[in-house]
Amino acid sequence: MDRLGCRLQGNYYFQEQLSRHRTLMNLYDKSPVVDKDAFVAPSASIIGDVRVGQGSSIWYGCVLRGDVNNITVGSGTNIQDNSLVHVAKSNVSGKVLPTTIGDNVTIGHSAVIHGCTIEDEAFVGMGATLLDGVVVEKNAMVAAGALVRQHTKVPYGEVWGGNPAKFLRKLTSEEIAFISQSATNYVNLAKVHAAENAKPFDEIEFEKMLRKKYARRDEEYDSMLGVVRETPPELVLPDNILPEKSQKAVV
Amino acid sequence: MATPARLFRRILPRTLSTPLSGRAYTSEALQSVPSQTPPAPVIRESPDRVKWDYRGQRKVIPLGQWIPKTAVDAYVAPNVVLAGQVVVCDGASVWNGAVLRGDLNKITVGFCSNVQERCVVHAAWSSPTGLPAETLIERFVTVGAYSLLRSCTIEPECIIGQHSILMEGSLVETHSILEAGSVVPPGRRIPSGELWAGNPAKFIRTLTHEETLEIPKLAVAVNDLSKSYFSEFLPYSTVYLEVEKLKKTLGISI
Repeated sequence: MDRLGCRLQGNYYFQEQLSRHRTLMNLYDKSPVVDKDAFVAPSASIIGDVRVGQGSSIWYGCVLRGDVNNITVGSGTNIQDNSLVHVAKSNVSGKVLPTTIGDNVTIGHSAVIHGCTIEDEAFVGMGATLLDGVVVEKNAMVAAGALVRQHTKVPYGEVWGGNPAKFLRKLTSEEIAFISQSATNYVNLAKVHAAENAKPFDEIEFEKMLRKKYARRDEEYDSMLGVVRETPPELVLPDNILPEKSQKAVV
Repeated sequence: MATPARLFRRILPRTLSTPLSGRAYTSEALQSVPSQTPPAPVIRESPDRVKWDYRGQRKVIPLGQWIPKTAVDAYVAPNVVLAGQVVVCDGASVWNGAVLRGDLNKITVGFCSNVQERCVVHAAWSSPTGLPAETLIERFVTVGAYSLLRSCTIEPECIIGQHSILMEGSLVETHSILEAGSVVPPGRRIPSGELWAGNPAKFIRTLTHEETLEIPKLAVAVNDLSKSYFSEFLPYSTVYLEVEKLKKTLGISI
């Protein structure tokens, strides 16, 4: 029956295929090395010579393309949705530009990082673009939407922004604390997402059913019927993603 | 119950990626992966990590009790990720490659609004203005491609240009337009009926009455386009047939 319908549509019909997207892909002999505690979203792609450390998270739609040189991502780092990390061609004019990203770095949504060195606990804002050979030092911050030109050095504890990026101001100590805080938050958040994304089909269906059964109703409705509803343990999120709890954990 | 699916996923990357890829990979290269020993910062690889998930990325990712909700006549492209507390209202459209991640706070895409290609909409825990830090996109809003929205409020009938960035707690009031590539810093309010642009966003001019009338028309035009896309997709995909065929060829009972 299906095939008959498809024939009728003729050329316009597009046969649906299995997903051929590969989350981790090796190029020739270079294969990505990902720690077992890292979260890699199924729609991210990690290609070639990439190392991802413990507790890092690569969010939805990210591309880490270590095809011509290597990419190193430290531990506890998060690279948020739709970002791109790429490397410059190796060994042209004697320069080698691998991308090194340190520990507890936060890289915002849709950032483009091309052959850079980002040291520990740095912050790269949303939509920032870092061109070849940029060095972001420890506790430095690149503001949202900034474009950092080639071979710029963003020194310790400064905020750079604009297009091309310029020095804006010094970071306050609170903001420096916020950077490490946001990294820990993301580590916790990534754990939740990792658990959800790794679920097999049966479990997804089971939880769908549970959710339907325990769907939240009005307090009044419940009290009228005289029932006390409890949320099943499968549907309770770990506390650490909620703001108050995670702050306690850090302090 | 879980064993066949588990088994299937674990077997697949080894046995299948070579013939499926159609490239000159040797099976030795695939098998040499776990034997690599990484240097100083020890990276412990897990043999369980799936290199190729036959299901691809799920479109709707519930977190705990938060299920992303999509209205029946909203169009959400197949490679969009909706995670956590996301509500896509009637007539809204979310285009390819967008990520709406409501894991910390609520995200609402209002009636007839559209979020275009490769946008990222996220919500923070708190906003500097003290307003609730949810991302609210009201009715008849056009959010251009590659935009980034984080915990901002967009009131009805606005246009957000391409590549624009809205940071925590920014507020775009009714009938205003942001030009392409504008960056709105945290806590900035853009008053109604004005045109703003630049990095950081600056006031350019007030809008004429005709222009404000054009804004909902643009949103409706995109909505019409999304309807034609919506009609292309059937309620159920036929991929499960492919999966079953593949399982049969591998000799795994379904």
